[in-house]
Amino acid sequence: MNTLTDRYLAATLRSVPAQRRDEIATELRASIEDMIDDRTGGGADPTVAEREVLTELGNPDVLAARYADRRLQLIGPTYYLVWQRLLKLLLSFIPALVGTIVAVVKVAEGSGFGAIGPGIVVALHVAVHIAFWLTLTFAIIERSQTTVDLPGWTVDQLPDAPVHRGIPLADTVASVIMLVLTIAYLPFQHYQSWVHGTDGENIPILDPALWSFWLPALIVVLAASAVVEIVKYRMAHWTWTLFGIRALLNLAFSVPLMWLALTDRLLNPALGERLSWLADADNRNVLGATIAVGAAVVVVWDLIDTALKTRRQTA
Amino acid sequence: MVSEDVLRTHLQELRRGTVVVASLVALRRPDYGYALLQRLSDHGFPVDANTLYPLLRRLEDQGLLTSEWNTEESRPRKFYRTSDEGESMLNRLLDDLAAVQTSITGLIQGVDR
Repeated sequence: MNTLTDRYLAATLRSVPAQRRDEIATELRASIEDMIDDRTGGGADPTVAEREVLTELGNPDVLAARYADRRLQLIGPTYYLVWQRLLKLLLSFIPALVGTIVAVVKVAEGSGFGAIGPGIVVALHVAVHIAFWLTLTFAIIERSQTTVDLPGWTVDQLPDAPVHRGIPLADTVASVIMLVLTIAYLPFQHYQSWVHGTDGENIPILDPALWSFWLPALIVVLAASAVVEIVKYRMAHWTWTLFGIRALLNLAFSVPLMWLALTDRLLNPALGERLSWLADADNRNVLGATIAVGAAVVVVWDLIDTALKTRRQTA
Repeated sequence: MVSEDVLRTHLQELRRGTVVVASLVALRRPDYGYALLQRLSDHGFPVDANTLYPLLRRLEDQGLLTSEWNTEESRPRKFYRTSDEGESMLNRLLDDLAAVQTSITGLIQGVDR
């Protein structure tokens, strides 16, 4: 015998606690037959009536969950917020920390910039593991009968109301990332410029002679700019002192850059060997002038923009 | 015009607890699952079968209903009856239901308690 009712009962009872399975089976079968009889008594076809009754009872897994008083959710409202807070907290620093450690170890082993890849891969693995194990733990707590005593909420936990900020966090983050990437690019281009000499060796874009003084100096200026960005965010608004420091750092970066570009000392002379266009002195002068003008435009625009913001926020 | 979905949700919320009260009242006279379903529905308490059958089990587990198998008829049926414990809880629930009705009436008429 393998009627729809039999199949429905089997599907329902599969996930009902074993010690009450038989009793529930007998009762549920009688109920289903009662319901079918009621319909066929009204003149319905037995097969159609059976289908209708089972459709009305709905998904057997849902019915079984109701019999077993089982929760149809992975993590319910009791634990959801704690789970979410822990997840955010752990993800906010552990993957980055582990990834950095791995990258540093790789660098120490001498893999140079190849260390970034393994660092990122390990950080991603760690993030996935944290999310999985934390969720699994909470799903088990949710299903266990033991109630975990969570500390109740008190008014003392209220965070400070956000101060109105003239400096959005997103701007600060974007600026710092840009500065860090620029700093990273300077040594990076020295080892990996994607321009290769005739015998396959790497040709840096910038003149390697600049490493004796100018490039380290520019890196210091960029690092200082990043610090100023963070200080600015902490202060939450522009002041004329900040404006002065920012202006000074901007000039400390762009003036040497312009001067080096105009005196044709910025680009690696060896580039001319591979890119014939750069071998011509006139072309190099045009390129230098373009770089200098570009840098000047960026500086002037930034100074005006910052001055306007400072005036608005100190008014 | 209130959307049908919102209305249905609120009606469901309002009705949810009354199924237990209605079942405990109805089962002062012993009955089996499907017969109870029909009686409730005849008295204006339409309940889904997949809600009522597990609910009867739960009320029995909580000691509010007692049950007895009747094997004399064509098919074995489990008859539920409101227990003494169920009866005393039912009285508390009915009092509360009446209190809700009184409060609502008072609120509508604007009378302070």
